Amino acid sequence: MRFLKMDLRAATVAAALTASLGLAAAPAEAKVEGDTIILGSAISLTGKYSTNGIHAQNGYELGVKVINDNGGVVVGGKSYKLKIVYYDDESTPARGAQLAERLISQDGVKYMLGPYSSGLTKAIAPVTEKYKIPMVEAEGASRSLFTQGYRYLFAVLSTSEQYLASSIELAAEIAKKNGKKPSDVKVAMAFENDPFSLDVRAGVVDDAKRFGMKIVIDDKLPRDLSDMTSTLTKVKALKPDLLVISGHSKGAATAARQIAELKISTPMIAMTHCEAAKIISKFGAGATEGILCPTQWAETLSYKDDLFGTAAEYDSLFKKSFEGYKNVPYQAAQATAAVMVWKDAFERANSFDSEALRDAIADTDMNTFYGGIKFSPAGNNIAKPMVLRQIQDGNLNVVAPLKWASSEARHPRQPKY
Amino acid sequence: MSAQKLDLSLYGVLVAAGILVPLLAPAFTSQMAILWLMVLMAVTWDMTGGQMGYNSLGNIAFFGIGMYASAVVQIGIVYDVAEYTAAFGAIKVDFTVEQYWTGLLLGIGFGGVVATVFALIIGPFMLGLRGPYFAIGTLGLAVAVAELVSGWSYVGGGSGISMPVFPGEAASGSQVFYVLLFVLAILAHVVIRAIYKTRFGLAINAIRDDEDKAEAMGIHTTRYKVTAWMVPAFFMGMAGAVFGNMSGFIEPLEVAFPTATFGIFMVAMALLGGKGTVWGPVLGAILFHIVKEVTWTHLLGWQWVALGAIIIINIVYFQQGILGWAQDRWPSLFGVTVDEKTTRTGQAEAAK
Repeated sequence: MRFLKMDLRAATVAAALTASLGLAAAPAEAKVEGDTIILGSAISLTGKYSTNGIHAQNGYELGVKVINDNGGVVVGGKSYKLKIVYYDDESTPARGAQLAERLISQDGVKYMLGPYSSGLTKAIAPVTEKYKIPMVEAEGASRSLFTQGYRYLFAVLSTSEQYLASSIELAAEIAKKNGKKPSDVKVAMAFENDPFSLDVRAGVVDDAKRFGMKIVIDDKLPRDLSDMTSTLTKVKALKPDLLVISGHSKGAATAARQIAELKISTPMIAMTHCEAAKIISKFGAGATEGILCPTQWAETLSYKDDLFGTAAEYDSLFKKSFEGYKNVPYQAAQATAAVMVWKDAFERANSFDSEALRDAIADTDMNTFYGGIKFSPAGNNIAKPMVLRQIQDGNLNVVAPLKWASSEARHPRQPKY
Repeated sequence: MSAQKLDLSLYGVLVAAGILVPLLAPAFTSQMAILWLMVLMAVTWDMTGGQMGYNSLGNIAFFGIGMYASAVVQIGIVYDVAEYTAAFGAIKVDFTVEQYWTGLLLGIGFGGVVATVFALIIGPFMLGLRGPYFAIGTLGLAVAVAELVSGWSYVGGGSGISMPVFPGEAASGSQVFYVLLFVLAILAHVVIRAIYKTRFGLAINAIRDDEDKAEAMGIHTTRYKVTAWMVPAFFMGMAGAVFGNMSGFIEPLEVAFPTATFGIFMVAMALLGGKGTVWGPVLGAILFHIVKEVTWTHLLGWQWVALGAIIIINIVYFQQGILGWAQDRWPSLFGVTVDEKTTRTGQAEAAK
């Protein structure tokens, strides 16, 4: 009996604790506090996507800082500052979805910025959709995001299938120039098993099929992206003409390191996320010479806007604001662009109503230092191309498409290991 | 007070908390839903781990299998699954309200059934292993199933599946999944507690205490063991189906088969509360989940350290768990009859 009393007392205390925990945090913060508009984002600050999560966070912060320093966001004749609430999603989709739920239902956030990676965006989009909260995302490129009929999801970047497609085209052109048929080109592929890379893969497979190229290796990178020697050993044996790799920053760093270690002599190598992984400064210009890197944005492109000026001006401002960047990764630039979309939408909607804002975002048609932004009915940006750069003597030069090219592609690549 | 009355009042407290907390603090509905999921996981794990002495590290496989089975059913009744899950998004998705609810209910049932059938098929092989071999074997099973699913393009592989979006108000969506998990957790506990009261409960306890002797006494141990594994599988499968829909997006490595998180949590929770007791896993799950959520909110970056510390203290200093300790102290409250003659104090008194 005494035990029972104790037990019940303990239960009451536990219940009271839980309740007070709830009540303490329950008064949801308003979406607009005084003269500050609160945006929310779950972002990968730890885990396998942390490199790019931090690039994206830096991009968001720079956008917020520059907008706040230049008059803020004007709604109803009053100027508001922007502020972003972050949570670390540990690079896991399950955590991302829970955090989005927390941002919306507990912190009262009504305006969302995206997480990093297609996988996390896929996990968070159903939550924002459920609560009818608009989300402008800058880092989720998989096409499968834009066929779910999501009304509140908008992406400022180009979709994944375009990442490495231009490298296939380039390989075909080079084959023709050398008097070979494009269908003689042998392709080796290694992709991370995640929504982004699988969609990149789908794009490469489509294009390779179009040219009748032969895919000799089709591997998956291990889930922690820390080793791809088995694929590279096969590459040494089968001697493909083109090696394509996609595994976010960690995959790119692993690939660049092991390509140098194993002295891979494939004449053409293309991989995503070279800049974000900082492979040139990590592994040297000699070892990374000739690697092709698709990019959403390059500082040499002739885009501009009133806030950041030209792409080159954004580039130098970013390098001044954050330490340790030799090249500004496009992940940061597009994150900044997402904040600009929000500013533009607030000012055009002239309202804090999320439905009005959703419609304003859908009508976005703006030019930024990052490129044009205009959303298709599905929510992806259709006003901006992907470009392909090549590492040439430690610099990233645009080599395709021809309209934007600043130098000619070097083939075969001549690395110095 | 008898053990039975105590149980009833505990059910009363749980049901009251389950109804009141989301009403008083609606913002915490989804965290509470996860709490019930944790309770369900710990309680069902304890059936084999605690009562039968077979420490499975692979029960998370049932969770993921249920989740995927339900996703395939929910999508399959309207679309072609392979097209729906294609990495490049081959079809425009649009579920009607009716399709959603039919799919959800069918999916939950199907999730439970498929997981149970899986346990039935795999059980005789796995349960031939004993002690640490069974633990490692089941861990391998969970990892293998996750890898197989992540390489299977029919269900999207590593791209995962975006589940149909809940139709209707957002808040009601959270409530629906909350109620489902709450009911499942209580139901699982009631069913499992009832099983412990039967001959079946005695049989699995006998297997825990001495399997060879139990077999010599005429208990068909394999049959009992497989059945005792199918019960957790059934509930885990259904819980997986609900959790998949609650998450909105499922993928093999982190959402459906989180071996290193949920898969370990369920063991840690049962151990914390006291394995082999009826209420230990429930208490363990509640404490563990509260610590997890509080550290995640207020001590960000230290949450894993805190959870690790709990597990270490638990394993090193009180292996029998909170209620295990209480059961040793006050056995009568747990419906355990102690033959005083065999205890040390009883013998001392008799000697006098």
